[in-house]
Amino acid sequence: MILGVALAQPATTTVSAVVAVRDGALLGVVSGAEPWEARAPSPGMADYLRRARAVCVAVDLDTVRPAPVAAIRVAGSCPPALRPLAGWPKGSGLATIVRGGHTLTGRQLARLDTAAVRRFAAGAGLTDFAVTASGSPVLADHELAVAEIIAAEVPGARITLSYEFGRAGLREREDDAIMNAALGPEAGRVADEVARAFPGLPLFFARSGDGLVASHYFRRYPLVCYAGATASEARGLAAMASLVPLPAPPEADTAERSQGAGPLRGPAEDAAARVQGLVADAVGWSRQEAGIAAEERPLDGLGFARGAARRGDGARGELVAPAAAFGAALAGPTAEVERIVQARGRAELDRVLDSARDEALARVVSAGAAPGSARIASTTVNPLSYLPDGLYRLRVTAEGATP
Amino acid sequence: MIDETSLGRFAAGSRLFATGAAEASFELAVDWARSVIGGGVPVVQADELEPRTLCVAITLVGSSTALGEQLPAGDEPARAVRALERRLGARAGAVVALNLAAENALLPVIAAASLGLPLVDADGTGRVFPLVEQTTYTLGGISSTPLALVGPSGELVLLETAPDRVEELVRPVVLSFGGWGMAACYPTSAERLAESCVPGTVRRLLEAGAPGAPRALAAPYGLRTLCVGRIAGVEGSTGHGADLALPSLPSSIVVEEYGGLERLVRLEAHNEVVLALADGAPVAMAPDQICMISTTTGVVVDVDKAEPGMDVEILVLNAAPAWHTARGRLLGGLRAFGVPL
Repeated sequence: MILGVALAQPATTTVSAVVAVRDGALLGVVSGAEPWEARAPSPGMADYLRRARAVCVAVDLDTVRPAPVAAIRVAGSCPPALRPLAGWPKGSGLATIVRGGHTLTGRQLARLDTAAVRRFAAGAGLTDFAVTASGSPVLADHELAVAEIIAAEVPGARITLSYEFGRAGLREREDDAIMNAALGPEAGRVADEVARAFPGLPLFFARSGDGLVASHYFRRYPLVCYAGATASEARGLAAMASLVPLPAPPEADTAERSQGAGPLRGPAEDAAARVQGLVADAVGWSRQEAGIAAEERPLDGLGFARGAARRGDGARGELVAPAAAFGAALAGPTAEVERIVQARGRAELDRVLDSARDEALARVVSAGAAPGSARIASTTVNPLSYLPDGLYRLRVTAEGATP
Repeated sequence: MIDETSLGRFAAGSRLFATGAAEASFELAVDWARSVIGGGVPVVQADELEPRTLCVAITLVGSSTALGEQLPAGDEPARAVRALERRLGARAGAVVALNLAAENALLPVIAAASLGLPLVDADGTGRVFPLVEQTTYTLGGISSTPLALVGPSGELVLLETAPDRVEELVRPVVLSFGGWGMAACYPTSAERLAESCVPGTVRRLLEAGAPGAPRALAAPYGLRTLCVGRIAGVEGSTGHGADLALPSLPSSIVVEEYGGLERLVRLEAHNEVVLALADGAPVAMAPDQICMISTTTGVVVDVDKAEPGMDVEILVLNAAPAWHTARGRLLGGLRAFGVPL
């Protein structure tokens, strides 16, 4: 049995729903039924905690307070508007550009200016670093060398390297790296608190797209879980709609449906009402009880909201918490590798593909997949246009099952 | 005038029919343009300029993915134009675009802003072609050379050769730059430019990029819908293992038409769609531009991103009249894309 947990808002770390799931079937909505405290769980909850073999957490990180980041770009000079952190809000951190990096064809632009890296790292006064080198999806050597220098200069530094996100487009990859570094401290706090609430159980966090990652992976790459609750909610709603016959649609809904809009997403309230209905049926409540308005009570740093709780900020509509918790519990560990490679001929492409697949498998195991369950889910190869000599963008996704 | 407020519209207009544009390079071109636009770039008609005014075309050469990865130093457009000026012993008086697709619409604006020159309300294709020489400038007898090519690490190459060898010489140079370069080319007088350009295209993009404006505004010679349907299959000519999607070239895309005649429309692609067959009969081909637009997002679907199940509208943009001459078809027709029809 797996517990799915939806957190409302990490700034206050509020649990808004806990569901129990086995083999894809919803067994019950635990926390919605009765108040639950981590120290003295109710008999029902205690039973679930005993039987659970993993906890899958759905959380959106868009409301966490980002930490200031020391951003290092390894590249040539550029117009001021294209510099790191240009356009970011004040207080986002410090940035520098040091000489070095590679072209997409793998040629070194300049030797890495190690002295400049050392000076910046020592003087930044920050511990969250984001490192982005030109050409790192092809060759990450300079990012790795910078990380080594930072680690030596700043004890305890948390370092994000952009090549691990792999996206082509230096600025996009750099923004990812900076965002990831900025989320690190708060993500660590969220992971700590969830671990305290579910002692002894392996923890997973839902990714923004498909899948989950293990807790330690979430601490290191929180950005991959940035919209974990939203993604889980969509998955949960879809699964509920396909598993349980929907109540007869209101008339306003019918026209929409006949146009092929699908039964899942009516107006948000509509969907919320439907899911509340389903969830209520699943655990034998009356709809009225299930529809109790959110009532948050902080406890042990990890609050808890009753019923189908609302997203804390309320800014982007409501999160159907039980659906998000259910969706998280349905997913399995997933990881991907994105790289740009140069391969002349099919044999060479096969070789680099094999190595990318190996890396994806290693990553998904690191993301918490049971080693025997890890498999390649998809492989995409795109030739880069107008670049001869066999330059390809590879994307490999691997998935697995929770242990 | 393209200024801070109209730049967004111009950029949006430049995306309406642009295929194969890398998101990263487009975004950086927009941010770069915004940072240098200052008081704005005047947009002028070629025939309003003093007839002997030296006009220079600006274009990205190479890979837009490479531009997104290895950022410009910032002085590339100005250095390329200055190099041509030195070679010709004359000052440039205006900048013109080679084509107006995505970043290639913005780079001439950046060049004009950096040099304090006006931008000619025109371009050299009326659509996009992959080669430097595939322009109405060439059809009008203007040579693409001398051509100055500037790389992102300060490289500068001045090329003098017969125009039909430009591509062959430029490619390895661009590759050694790291994948992209900025070219200043087709130096000519305003008078000759006026005779060979596709006029009015800059203003059209400014209008077409306004929120709610009809897409057809960006198609100066007419636009028709070939069909609306769902992509049923994408076939590459070379597979690479069963589990691999390798959108190699050439490829074919099969679209099942909704309603109407429920035809099976087959799109033959070489980087871009060059031929459309409906139930086996040719219904559109290069030099006209054939474009897939997602009916869910309204955005152009690139050939290498087409997937079965996508709902698309297939549009045909009529090419400028110059392309529908015997010479035009030779330079930009099916044969130029390797289809011997």
